[in-house]
Amino acid sequence: MKNRGLAVFLIGVLLFSVAISGCIGGGEKTETQTTTPQYAGKIAVVYDVGGRGDLSFNDMAYLGASKAAKEFNLELKEVQSNTESDYLPNLRSLAQTGEYNLIIAVGFMMTDAVTQVADEFPDQKFAIVDGFIPDKPNVVSILFKENEGSALIGALAGLIAANDGKDKVGAVLGIEIPVLYKFEGGYRFGIKWAEEYYKQKTGNDVKIDLLYTYTGSFTDPAKGKTAAQAQLGQGAWVIYQIAGAVGLGVFDAVDEYLKSQGKEMGPPFAVGVDSAQDWIKPGVIIASMMKRVDVGVYKAVEMAIKGNWQGGIMELGLNEQGVGVSTIDAVKEMFNSLPEDTKQQKLKELGLASEDELFAKLEETRKQVPDWIWQAVAELEEKIKSGEIKVPMATTKDQIEAIREAKTWQEMEDLAKQWESS
Amino acid sequence: MKANIKGFFKPLVESLIAIIIGMLIGAIILAFSGYSPTEAYVALFDGALGSKYGWAMTLSAATPIILTALTFGLGARTGLFNIGAEGTVYFGAIAAIIFTNILGNVLIGLLGGIIAGLVWMSIPAFLKVFRGVNEVVSTIMLNWMAYFIALYIVLQKIPNPDDPNKTIAVPVSARFPIVIRGTELSWAFVISVAAALIAYYILWHTTLGYELRVSGYNERAARYGGINPKKAVIWSFLLGGIMSGLAGATEVMGRPPSYAISQGMANIYGYGFDGIGVSLVGRNHPIGIIFSGIFFGMLKAGATAMQIEAGVPLEMVRMVQGIIVVTVAIPGLLDLLKRGVRK
Repeated sequence: MKNRGLAVFLIGVLLFSVAISGCIGGGEKTETQTTTPQYAGKIAVVYDVGGRGDLSFNDMAYLGASKAAKEFNLELKEVQSNTESDYLPNLRSLAQTGEYNLIIAVGFMMTDAVTQVADEFPDQKFAIVDGFIPDKPNVVSILFKENEGSALIGALAGLIAANDGKDKVGAVLGIEIPVLYKFEGGYRFGIKWAEEYYKQKTGNDVKIDLLYTYTGSFTDPAKGKTAAQAQLGQGAWVIYQIAGAVGLGVFDAVDEYLKSQGKEMGPPFAVGVDSAQDWIKPGVIIASMMKRVDVGVYKAVEMAIKGNWQGGIMELGLNEQGVGVSTIDAVKEMFNSLPEDTKQQKLKELGLASEDELFAKLEETRKQVPDWIWQAVAELEEKIKSGEIKVPMATTKDQIEAIREAKTWQEMEDLAKQWESS
Repeated sequence: MKANIKGFFKPLVESLIAIIIGMLIGAIILAFSGYSPTEAYVALFDGALGSKYGWAMTLSAATPIILTALTFGLGARTGLFNIGAEGTVYFGAIAAIIFTNILGNVLIGLLGGIIAGLVWMSIPAFLKVFRGVNEVVSTIMLNWMAYFIALYIVLQKIPNPDDPNKTIAVPVSARFPIVIRGTELSWAFVISVAAALIAYYILWHTTLGYELRVSGYNERAARYGGINPKKAVIWSFLLGGIMSGLAGATEVMGRPPSYAISQGMANIYGYGFDGIGVSLVGRNHPIGIIFSGIFFGMLKAGATAMQIEAGVPLEMVRMVQGIIVVTVAIPGLLDLLKRGVRK
């Protein structure tokens, strides 16, 4: 009895090892195809718990890092974090090897961990996206002026609503953290700017209210859907999502609302965030506020490789193309960075035959909004770029409250100047 | 004596065989997915055990799960299926933060964890003994209640004003010192090993432990022998509460860099559930739990190395580890079921 069990077990082991040795051979074969023998260095990207596949923040970081790796002939290592307690070990294990020209931490949640590891390895260069670590020579903090990009979205949303005789727009946000105040404040600024622009253009007074919901999550699409449904019910005409994966629920809610009205295209519209998300639901998403994490990451790698490294803050606004409203070209670039089978599957889900059809539909979506509105948005963009108009950047509860109470965009601009001088 | 050795070696051999089988299955999956199993496993063991840093990572990862495993293990020895460690960990961590912010001292923090664990675990104990509520049902529900109550406290009562993403931190004076600089191994590990040794001592060298175990084997026999099984059940819950309360406390007091609870309780979530696996692999024996906790810690520490050195993506790493854990837990699970059926 006992011996038979042992024999069966040994035969099992034998079979396993035969199977494996065959597979190992196969594994090596694929490896020789993919590895490039020559490289000038190594970079590493550590993702936060959100990770790759979010179609926004983390994927954008990968886009920038992989582009830089290709251009500068670098080996790119990606590390995913399972839980929050992985940040420190992941960063440390990479830094310990001393092999990496730059280690990029994606997400402000890694701020504490990067601060600590940067002290432990003063010769190792780090970059952190969205984190604020101002005074370490070996860390560059990549920050964005989300307020500037969001102001353009506010102008777009406000004018669409005003043009259709509506008086409400919406925003669905994630967890209440300082970064989101930058979005909310900028959005409010743009809406107020739209009110005045519309009055000057048509002579009609409009007042547009903002319905906003902090869902308390970045990962639960159901919460985004409920929040968006409530806002649509109250008459929100454009809903800006600033909530990561929660925003996917916002898109669903607007999509279903349109279908229930027998419409294939908005208004009402949704607005995407971080990456050019327009392709996720053509007809529903009018545009996206792009936060070019890819640009920031690329710049940081370039700096580390080319020897003009400078620690501290790297802040990217409209002028640096760090933020902006998505264009059809930007959507194409984002869509084309997806793996081929994902692209095909997405097209199938959307019921479209080809990429061209997708982009044609996106063009048509944009045509639902009159040209003068797009021009107005471009006008505001130019004014912000030239410094003629200053968009407030709220990063604390007090500051966002002050913006919420302001009646006009000029009042908000005064706040911006006040904060800047202090 | 002879029976004792056999009782020790049989589970050990079974576990080793289970580990080998699990690793073989994992290797096949890795190979079919185009990764080299040898490279992956070398990275796993090298990362977890190949250096002082690796060992430190392994032991620090083992710290909380040894404690939560003791909660389940003590319950199982008394014939209970206590899966309430998860919720208790949250309150242990919260209590430690609040207590140490009032008085910045390690002992005060540990006391906070103990008190929170006792209070929270007394609820299922009470329900079981006086109302006959099955502990599986009550602890599952209590875990969810704990989650939302703790979330409320974390977000509304003790948030960090400078960084709303997490709670206020444990003051420096109440943090466990790091044993090896540049690692996460703090003296909290000693607490968890000591807790396991104490649990062992109680179970096998005190009258109370005898009563706990006899009630677990056969409630009626226990009553016949003059033991009050109700008392045993209450003690089992309370001791278990202390263990997982300590797990929460040591986690916030002993793990850099933040020494706080982050939003959604991301850094303390899941230890209670991991503890069930650890306890099953350790055959619900405190000494076995120390070793199986270190084994789980090794898998955790090795995950980083598997990603960095062997280039295996995290999802694949977790799948392979999951398979190993399941195969290793099977003998313990069968043991538990067999005993349940016999009763």
